[in-house]
Order: sequence, then C-alpha cells, then structure tokens
Amino acid sequence: MSTLFPRRHTLRTSGAALLLGMAPLGAIPAHAQHQHEPAPQESPSPSPADPSSPGAPPMEGMDRGAHPAAAGPSPDQSMAGMDMSGQSGGATMRMGAMQGGRAPADARDPNAHADGYENSTLPGFERADQISVGKVLIDELEFVRSQGQNGIAWSAQITQGGDSDKLWIRSQGVKLAHEPVDSDTSVEAFWWHATGPFWGRMLGVRQDVGPGAHSWLAAGIEGLAPYWFDIELTGYLGDDGRVAARAKASFDLRLTNRLILTPQAEVNAYSTSNVERSLGSGFTSAELGVRLRYEVARKVAPYIGYVWEPSFGSTADLRRARGERVSEGRFVAGLRLWW
Amino acid sequence: MHQALLGRPALNRRRFVQGLSTAAALAAIGARAEAGRASVAPGRMPELGGTEFDLVIDALPVNYAGKRRMATAVNGSVPGPLLRMREGDTVTLRVMNRLQEMTSIHWHGLEVPADMDGVPGISFGGIAPGETFTYRFTLRQTGTYWYHAHTLAEQTGLFGAMIVEPRVPEPASVDRDYVVMLSDWTDEPPLQVYLNLKKMSGYYNFGQPTVGDFFRDVGQLGLSSAIAKRRMWNAARMNPTDYSDVSGTTYTYLMNGTAPAGNWTAIARAGERVRLRFIGAGTATIFDVRIPGLKLTVISTDGQPVEPVEVDEFRIAPGETYDVLVTMPEDRAYTIFAQSMDRTGYARGTLAPAAGMSAQVPRPDRRVWLDPVDMMGAMASMSGDMSDMAPPARHARTEYGPTTDMRVDYPRTNLDDPGAGLRDNGRRVLAYADLRRPGGAPDPRVPAREIELHLTGNMERFIWSIDGVKLNDSRPIHFRKDERLRIIFVNDTMMAHPMHLHGMWSDLEDPGGGFLVRKHTVLVQPAQRVSFAVNADAPGRWAFHCHLLYHMAAGMFREVVVA
Repeated sequence: MSTLFPRRHTLRTSGAALLLGMAPLGAIPAHAQHQHEPAPQESPSPSPADPSSPGAPPMEGMDRGAHPAAAGPSPDQSMAGMDMSGQSGGATMRMGAMQGGRAPADARDPNAHADGYENSTLPGFERADQISVGKVLIDELEFVRSQGQNGIAWSAQITQGGDSDKLWIRSQGVKLAHEPVDSDTSVEAFWWHATGPFWGRMLGVRQDVGPGAHSWLAAGIEGLAPYWFDIELTGYLGDDGRVAARAKASFDLRLTNRLILTPQAEVNAYSTSNVERSLGSGFTSAELGVRLRYEVARKVAPYIGYVWEPSFGSTADLRRARGERVSEGRFVAGLRLWW
Repeated sequence: MHQALLGRPALNRRRFVQGLSTAAALAAIGARAEAGRASVAPGRMPELGGTEFDLVIDALPVNYAGKRRMATAVNGSVPGPLLRMREGDTVTLRVMNRLQEMTSIHWHGLEVPADMDGVPGISFGGIAPGETFTYRFTLRQTGTYWYHAHTLAEQTGLFGAMIVEPRVPEPASVDRDYVVMLSDWTDEPPLQVYLNLKKMSGYYNFGQPTVGDFFRDVGQLGLSSAIAKRRMWNAARMNPTDYSDVSGTTYTYLMNGTAPAGNWTAIARAGERVRLRFIGAGTATIFDVRIPGLKLTVISTDGQPVEPVEVDEFRIAPGETYDVLVTMPEDRAYTIFAQSMDRTGYARGTLAPAAGMSAQVPRPDRRVWLDPVDMMGAMASMSGDMSDMAPPARHARTEYGPTTDMRVDYPRTNLDDPGAGLRDNGRRVLAYADLRRPGGAPDPRVPAREIELHLTGNMERFIWSIDGVKLNDSRPIHFRKDERLRIIFVNDTMMAHPMHLHGMWSDLEDPGGGFLVRKHTVLVQPAQRVSFAVNADAPGRWAFHCHLLYHMAAGMFREVVVA
C-alpha cells in the first residue's frame, strides 16, 4: 500500500523556523500545522486526454469551491469541495473533502446500533489491532570522506507502540577524524501521537552530544505531505534559554522498484549563539543531500551519496574567524537497514 | 495480547511434503491412520465422509518454495481433508489440537449454532493445546463450503473443503466433480508478514510506479497528460498499484495445495461434463480464474445455486466459492489458470484426459493502474445524468481521524463492473450483476431498517477498520432477533474487501434494492456501495469481518449480536 510514484519522498525541509515559541505558528506550512492535509494546488482530476482511464470520462465541471455545509472543508483539506455540475442533467452535487477535515455535526454515530451491548469477553478474542510494533530504522549509517578526512555519520530512529501512540527515539550525527562532532549531533526521545491519517505530533527531549552540549525540551510534528514528502519539523527550548528549530524534508524517487534516489534537506536555526559548538544565531546551517540506494531486500539497502553542508550568517562568520570551513561537502557510502 | 494471532507450529518431526508433489501424492504419504476413512482418488485431496469426523491439527514440515517450513495440517494433509456430508444429517466433528498454541476451526458459510462457529473469543474460547473440542450441528443446506482456522494459522495451511450433498441425491448431471482450492503460501511466519505490513505497508509491492514509467507515459501521452495521470494519486498519497498487501514476492500460489510446477491435474475426457468447485482460500489473495479454450458455466456461488451464466473468467476473493461446469471439447490438456489480482503470480493446474499432460500456461496480465473510479467512486464516471445516483454516503464521525485516510462521498453502485484489472480485457468476465438465484428472493419481506457501515483504512500505516473504528475500539452491532434488515457497505478505501458475515446469509441486492443472490462473502470493490439483506434468525454472537486475513487482524472486524 502506500507509496507512489515518486515514492515516499523525503525532502526534509522547510522554513525551519520555528515551532516552539520562536516564531508565530503561522510561519509553519499549513499542512504541518494542522493534523490534516494541505489542499493540492491543482484540481486532482485526471486529464481528459488520459487514455489510461477508459472507464472514466473527464471530470469536467469539477472545480474546487467552498462547501456550504456546516462541515465545509477548510483550506487544509485535500481534494476539497469538488463542485460537480452535470453537463446535461443540470443537477449539481457537492463533494466534501476526501481526506482530513472535521466531522459534520450530523455525522453518523458508529455505535448507533450497539444498543448497550459490549464485545465478547471470551478468551482468544482477536487483539492484533492493538499490537505494539517495534521498528528500528537505521536510515543512514555511512562512511564519510570530506576534504581529505574520513569519518562516520548516522541518522537512526527507534519506534515502539500502537497506531495512536509511540515511543520515538532518534539520533543523528557526524564525526570526522580530526574534528569534534558536528553541531547537530544529538539524541532525542519523544512521545509520538497520531493527529491525522498522515501526521503525528511529538513531545520530548533532546540531548546534544559533544562539546558545548545542552539539553532541550522538544516539540514537533512529522508526517507525509501530499506528493509524498516526508516532513519533520521540530522546535526546541534549551536549558540555557535558547530556542532552536530543525526542519527536514525528504522524498523517495523510484528509479526502479529497488533503485531509489532520495534527495533530502535539513535546515537549523538558533535564537542565540553557542561558540563552543561553532553555532551563531539565526539560520545556522543546512544539509542538502542526495543518496542513491539499492534495496537488495526491503530491509537492506546499500547506498552512495553526496551531502553539501553550508553555514549561514553569524555561524559562517564565526567559523571563518576560527579558520574553519564555512561549508563542506561529503561523499558518503553506507547501509540503510531496518527491522 | 493478540493471542489469536500469535502462534507458530511446533517444530517437530513428521512428514516432509514437497510442494511440487500433487495433492494425491501428498495425501498418500500424509493421511493418518486415526483420521477415519481416508480415501484418496487421483487428483483429489484425502476425503472423509459420514457423520462422525476426527480431525487432528498438527504441525507438518512442507517445502513449497525451496525451503523446509512448518505448515499447519489437518490429519497430516495441507490443505486438510475434504469433508463430505449430507443435508439433514447431524454431524459430530472432534477436533484435537496438537499444536503448542490455541487454534480453532470455523465452518465457513454453514448455518450452525453460535457456539459451534469456531471463532475464538466470540463463539468459544478456542481449542487449547492438547485439547479436543467437539463440534456438533445439523446440516440445513447443500453445496460447496470450506473450513479454516480463525487465527493466523489460516496462512499456514489450516483449511479444507466441505461438500454438503443433497438429502435426495440429484440425478447425475456431471461426469467428474473436483474441488479446486486456491490459496497462498509464504515461507515467512504470518506474524512476520503482519509486522512487515505494519512497519511498511508497501513492503511486498515491487510494482509501484517508477521514473521509467513516467517517461514512458510522457512518450506515449505527452508531458501534461503524464503529469495529470499522476496528480490525483500523488496529491492524495494513494498508490495506483495497491491491489494486494502481500504479493508473489513472498507468496507461492497453490491449487489444492500444489505449487504451479507441481501441476495439479484433474482428469476428464472428451465430451465429459466436469464440475469444478472453486474455493477462495487465499489469506490475502484475490484470484482471477480462467481456463483458456473453455467456457465456464457458473452454476453456484457460496454454496447457493444461481441461474447458469457462461463466462470466460471470474474473480474469486478469500471466502467465496464458485461452482463451474465445463465440457471437455476434445482429449487434450487445458490449463486452469488463477492469477493473483496484483498479477505477481498464479496458481495453475491442468484439466486433461491423463495425468502428466499440460497445456500452455498464460503469462499473467500486465499490471494496470487502478482507475479513477476506484478512488473517486461515482464522481469519476459521471455522465451528466445524476437522476439514478445512489444517495450520498453518510460518514461516521470516527472517519475523520487517524484511522481513515480517505472517504468517498458518492460511491459507485455498478455491480456490473468485474473490477480493476479485469475491465475491457476482451474476455467475458463474471460480475455480481450476472448472479441470479433461481426462484428469486428466499424471503419476500422488505428490510425494515438499514445499517450503513463504511469500510475504512489507512493504507500508509496499515490500519483497517469499519467506520474508522478498529475491532477492539468498537462496540457490537445489534440485530434484533428475526428481523430482516439491510446492511449497506460503502468502501472508503482503494482496496477490494471480501466481507463475511458469520451465521446468517447475505442476500445481495442490486442498486435498486432488488434481490440478486444469496452469499456468505460479499466482495466490495473500491469506492463502491453494496447492499444486502439479512434475516437475523441466528441468535448469539457472530463475527463480521474482511476475509483478507491481515485486514481482519488489523481491525476491519465487528462483532454482531443477534438477540
């Protein structure tokens, strides 16, 4: 199920900014802010010329429009409010959003026919829908070659829980042979809660690793945006009063069903500087990568890639002043594993 | 936790069954002495008859895909023995569990008392290891049925065929009579399959759209059409190749327990009429069946007679049965070809005058994308005249949360649609609208009330539910004893769901509410609305669920209380 054409994209992006207190929520992309989905920019109707859909005449007269009903779709609904006007019959019908949205006041009660009965309590009742699933995803575990130095980098997560709530642990980092760990090297632990069919929110903590490490409270959202972009947006409140944010987006482009190209982007921002970690204020750095993996099996995929990490503003000034590189490129080769 | 789901046959001794062998050979090695009167005919599964049956459930080593694995056998055979019974008889079936976990047998489609229905947690507490449970019921019907575990052991082979003969024997209308059970085998433990799907719902789908497909479409359709073709799916995060959760990448598709290379063979000579009793015993596989060169006359479904209808091909979902008549035109081999709906493989056998013969085996059809009607329902196929449109779907308030990734406001009602992958394929394909019960409705009462239920899912997270509520978050549906009511299903997902109501018949209706045919398992196509009437004449508690095993496990399941 799932995953389509450009398969599960992972563009980890977006205006980093600013979740936790740092900036107005309005700065977050609409889809991220709601538990529901953004509306596609275009009408989703297939092209009338599409010969792949013999049974489906063009959906002419289909326009996105406001839904008059109480439960009318808000702008964050997908395929919202298609206004279907028949060509000959003259009848008009309206269709609510196919995804997301809020239940109308007159929506059916799913227990309307229970009449006071409860499910059986005999032994052996099927409970597989409550199963707690544990997953370890080592998304990146790679050897790094950067400006003549060797190193390692990783990005991994462990999740455990049911469909609604999970424990979510993640870690990322870079360590080159003759340098301290990268400024974003950290371990995070969250309570993840499903907020919609494609989105969840996360509340937890982050612990930096390496010189100048701090502890942070963390909150964010993660999910799958329309067109298969994997998004993670996280805001942080540090034990020194600093505020920070990290945004990631990625996207899986299936060259074949096993050869998958994954562009991804990460942007970091901090309210004030931390000289020990070579971090300035404002947007500090980005990480733009592309990795090409081959899924030998679903769970095992060697890959190669290239990552470019520029730094910005006062962070760049700081690094320049210290004689460090303002930006660096890394060739990577690694293994993606999950189980 | 998930005790019904968990379960691995004990790894131990006993026979080693090659998937390449025929069911007959299998039975010859496998039949157990204490199993009663086992009779083995060429090309048949072991068969038991009478009114007293002793069935022993045990682990059995098998080899279907090149590796030794443990299956779950009944009396040493996979599938289990064919049980032949007689209408009006009261039968006793003693089922002994030699596994190391709880198990069960459900008599699929039989009208039995609620406590004899074999669903752990609802009918009874299951059969504990080492224990024997005695089922006893009177046969009130005739036709082709089957039995299976109501746990994940269904995936490991715990199923078999049942034929209930009429009390007064019918004049012999056929020369040969065979059961053709279609199933799917995986070397992975079923719990592993379920967890793989929970962790990555597209785990087994290696036929997803690629960049290469895109450029091919650009070449054939032009850039804007190639983009437009994808926009709807990608905007909604839906997969146009999402036919089956589990595919031929792990499945070996079996015909009567025999892998394609084993070529299960039914013997028939020129001029003979043959009855083939197809049983959909796949756990996650819907099959499309045809016998190139032969017309198939469908004479019954789900054990119930239908007015004969001649087709080239039919679709059979897990739980369903179809009895088909064919006449052998000449003394040569014909391939019985059952491709999986996702076109990743097939079960195959042969109809021939002698064993060892074979005919050309077709290649599976090219995999096509789902059509927009499979996502948009009636919205995708509007011709302008909406006067005969079904009423809009009424969604439950619980369909607006994380369990439900899509809702269809205007479902389609076209029962004459054979379904995605079979449309316009140049063959005459059976559709539900072709099925007519001789003599019309078995009950003239008009349903006094309607219950609307929506089939819902979150494909990305592999959550399946009804009205957006999983089994363990739900409350039962109450049918009032002896009422006749109408169930309306609206499929809010892009997958087809074979919905099985235990204990009572589903009297399938046409879009106008007219009676079509009596079934026990109703395949509801994507974005489709289907209704059926039910006589609530069976007091007790019953299961009501999607017969795709992993959808049932994930929560597309309700308990029904008749009181």
